[in-house]
Amino acid sequence: MPSKNPLPPKENAFFKRILKCYEQKHYKSGLKFAKQILSNPKYAEHGETMAMKGLTLNCLGRKEEAYDFVRRGLRNDLTSHVCWHVYGLLQRSDRKYDEAIKCYRNALKWDKDNLQILRDLSLLQIQMRDLEGYRETRYQLLALRPGQRASWIGYAMAYHLLKDYDMCLKILEEFRKTQTPKPVYDYEHSELLLYQNMVMQEAGMNIEAMEHLNTFDKQIVDRLYVQETMAQLYNQLNQSDKAAKIFRDLINRNPENWAYYRGYERALHLEESPEERMQMYKSIMEEFPHSTMPKRLPLDFTTDDVFRELIDEYLKKSLRKGVPPSFVSIKSVYKDLWKVKTIEDLVLSYVENLKQTGKFDSKGDVEPATALLWAYYFLAQHYDYLNNMEKAFEYIDLGIEHTPLLIELYVLKAKIYKHAGDMDEAVRLMDEAQSLDTADRYINCKCAKYMLRANLIQEAADMCSKFTREGISAVENLNEMQCMWFQTECAFAYKRLGKWGDALKKCHEIDRHFTEIIEDQFDFHTYCMRKMTLRSYVGLLRLEDSLRGHPFYSRIAHLAIEIYLHLHDHPLTDTDHENDVNSENLSPSELKKLKRKQRKAQKKAEIEREKLKAEQEKRDQNKNKAADGELDGPKEEELIPDKLARADDPLEHAIHFLKPLQMLIPQCIETHVKAYKIYSRKGKLLLMLQSIKRGVLANRSDPRFHICLIHFLQYVKDQGELSEPAKTVINLEMKNIYQEKTALQLNEEFLASNSDSLEHRAAGARMMYKLDKSRQEEAMSLATSLDSNLKGVTIKNCIEVLEALCRGDLGKCEQEALEYQTRCHKIFPHATAFIIPAQASTNCSGTDSPTEQILVNGSALKNES
Amino acid sequence: MNIRCATPDDLMNMQHCNLLCLPENYQMKYYFYHGLSWPQLSYVAEDHSGKIVGYVLAKMEEDPEDSVPHGHITSLAVKRSHRRLGLAQKLMDQASRAMVENFNAQYVSLHVRKSNRAALHLYTENLKFSISEIEPKYYADGEDAYAMRRDLTEFREKYGLKADLDQLAIESAPAQDLVKPKIQD
Repeated sequence: MPSKNPLPPKENAFFKRILKCYEQKHYKSGLKFAKQILSNPKYAEHGETMAMKGLTLNCLGRKEEAYDFVRRGLRNDLTSHVCWHVYGLLQRSDRKYDEAIKCYRNALKWDKDNLQILRDLSLLQIQMRDLEGYRETRYQLLALRPGQRASWIGYAMAYHLLKDYDMCLKILEEFRKTQTPKPVYDYEHSELLLYQNMVMQEAGMNIEAMEHLNTFDKQIVDRLYVQETMAQLYNQLNQSDKAAKIFRDLINRNPENWAYYRGYERALHLEESPEERMQMYKSIMEEFPHSTMPKRLPLDFTTDDVFRELIDEYLKKSLRKGVPPSFVSIKSVYKDLWKVKTIEDLVLSYVENLKQTGKFDSKGDVEPATALLWAYYFLAQHYDYLNNMEKAFEYIDLGIEHTPLLIELYVLKAKIYKHAGDMDEAVRLMDEAQSLDTADRYINCKCAKYMLRANLIQEAADMCSKFTREGISAVENLNEMQCMWFQTECAFAYKRLGKWGDALKKCHEIDRHFTEIIEDQFDFHTYCMRKMTLRSYVGLLRLEDSLRGHPFYSRIAHLAIEIYLHLHDHPLTDTDHENDVNSENLSPSELKKLKRKQRKAQKKAEIEREKLKAEQEKRDQNKNKAADGELDGPKEEELIPDKLARADDPLEHAIHFLKPLQMLIPQCIETHVKAYKIYSRKGKLLLMLQSIKRGVLANRSDPRFHICLIHFLQYVKDQGELSEPAKTVINLEMKNIYQEKTALQLNEEFLASNSDSLEHRAAGARMMYKLDKSRQEEAMSLATSLDSNLKGVTIKNCIEVLEALCRGDLGKCEQEALEYQTRCHKIFPHATAFIIPAQASTNCSGTDSPTEQILVNGSALKNES
Repeated sequence: MNIRCATPDDLMNMQHCNLLCLPENYQMKYYFYHGLSWPQLSYVAEDHSGKIVGYVLAKMEEDPEDSVPHGHITSLAVKRSHRRLGLAQKLMDQASRAMVENFNAQYVSLHVRKSNRAALHLYTENLKFSISEIEPKYYADGEDAYAMRRDLTEFREKYGLKADLDQLAIESAPAQDLVKPKIQD
């Protein structure tokens, strides 16, 4: 039943032209034809025409009118599939996919075999991963159009995604039988076969997969995949000889691939015999003298003299040639302390010999003068890696003395200063490096990144602007390009400055990139079926499903949660100026200077904003002009820092960032620590329990989690008698998790089994004091020990301890904090965080971040002191 | 450094590497477009921890003017911290061979900024490219580009199919013609 109100031939012809105009993006003309129909009083309320007029208006960016016309049109003709379909498309353009699916279903009620609507529906179903629904729709499409390739592929793929491999393979095989491949280079057919093969492997049908590859070998153009797969399969099927042969071919093809050597070793059963193993690498080395992999891999498994000989050769060659990454290439060897010592002794001896004879050792020729320079460069990295800062500085300075204008040396020196805790000096040096080659974006980015670490946000943006598009601010261009490292570093810098709103804005921008990248897959649902690149398409679907597991997301998600927790605990008042957060520790003259600086910055920012707004408007206009109805999604709400910092319900926003972490990174303890902190503030007992349970699975002995464990135990105790059914669940779970231990017992055990770790001691000490205020002294000495045997004596960890002291987590202890800072300063003389200013009060403000407070000191965990 | 064919999982890290190293940047969708149209052609170099230190993002020319199937290098980068290991050349060689094997490419082309002497040097001296023409105002900021080419005959003789393929062209649908919802009446 197409429409309850059919048009007469003349009007119907107009209507057809509206459709055509829409497809060809001639929207203006489309509107004219719509007017032709609607101006006739008899058809002024014609539903389908009104709906189409609305859809056309939507493509011209006139959203409100669009919705109005489409809805009115639909109301006038509720049994028209066109009206429902149009409403669905409109919702789809606003990414309201669930709504759109409902509309399509309604449309199909009135026209159940409509191909276009079925196709559109299937796209939304796969986008939303409604796999059952997808399979049904694809079945209908296959029944209606059995002659089309996409019908078969789509239907088969639905079964694949539902893990019904048998059915999937049956369909694929039926379809394959109908295909006659071109004699050569039939890429699409080749991809079809490889998809079939991929499904077989996922179904665990290794033998069948192997036979399949053999049968269709001639028709497959992706030779690399055939070889890689066969080699692996032979290994799995214990046909080592065949596997070995193919792995050897693969090494010939690409001697720089680590996995091929691993497979080759396995096929030859070399794991147990180091000599034969070495022999194998030697023979490949001879065949491929320019390859680095056969030289590099034996460094991991050889020992004693063999290692010594190999590393000697490796080092000499790299230093002779002047290969800057020669240190980073062997960093993983540094797990073995004996090897570290061997390397150190060798390079130190080279330096001595080069200085005296120009040779690495008594044998060999005179080396180029730069060999000494690269030896210095190597040693500086070596000592930096071992946290021997003074030696690192010594050798990098020797290097700079030797060759004063080599960029790499300044980059390294900057890095050493960063590791030593002096970010300002690091920035100065990186800027110097950058000035030596302003055409290199890599150095430019490094410099900007260092600036951000030093909270120099404007300077960093100016630095980046040398490589961003002209006529648009660097910050905006980097956002447009989804440049997440920059935005992440900005977010952290803003947070350190206590500019919560600005920091949140950056977090949300990155969150939106992820949303956008998930959206990106939409077009590929049809595109890949046509291109037949089905393996990669499935890879894309899987990638998108776990996209927010990427560190780019988790870093800012944790940050955003921290900030929202802080804003929950310390909401901004109307008069609060975010910028003043750190001012209480400044002297009056410093304060004045800061205020002046802030005013200036504000003015500048205002001008900048105006400029940006004007640019944005201009762009919007252009966009409208060029509007071709490409469904860009809804216009997103502008992110305004001040509004973000004053969100009504910070905890709900925190949960928004938490959810993907819970789903995608449950193995990371920090996920559950954050979850616990959120739900304890919400007083959600069962969700707190859930976080604790998951945390126990992930890493029970983590110091941050230990604090949650103790807190939960106390919290449940403080609740008194619980009501059913929570009571039964809680009691049972508490028994499992705590085994009837008291908080005190738990804490003592924790301390006893982690007595060699600074972080654990600090957490245990805090809990000790919290549980028993009379043990302050004991707790203090636990937390502030800097014994050289302790693990985790790092600048970052020591800053955290110092902050905890300043906050009063261990009670009142001004003198102790000062003394601790002095001791830290002795260990880390360059670290600015431990330098005590002249007026000699604890310099808590100089340390990292005010947010740390909320990490440990939220309302739920509040200290009485 | 480990060199291997790129997978969809790599694309985001390639974008990151690109943003660090080069002035020409693209949104993720463009990386997807490469990875999902010609999954065999892009390669990455990664360090021991799996961090991408270099990549080549490559494609086939969709509608070659000369009707000769050929590949195109959209972007090639190696982090400055990992130079002098010969990574660029190794990445390019792998990508070129894949172009020949999968798509019967006869040559591979690329563009380079006229002012980018370092890149020009790399392409001519190490990667066996030569300038085929100058494309005026190729870049958004108005700079000219050298269009460069590397003949792949050597690869074809070694790795190509032995059949007579001259009349074969590559069929591939352009990416721009994306899903446009259609209405059926």
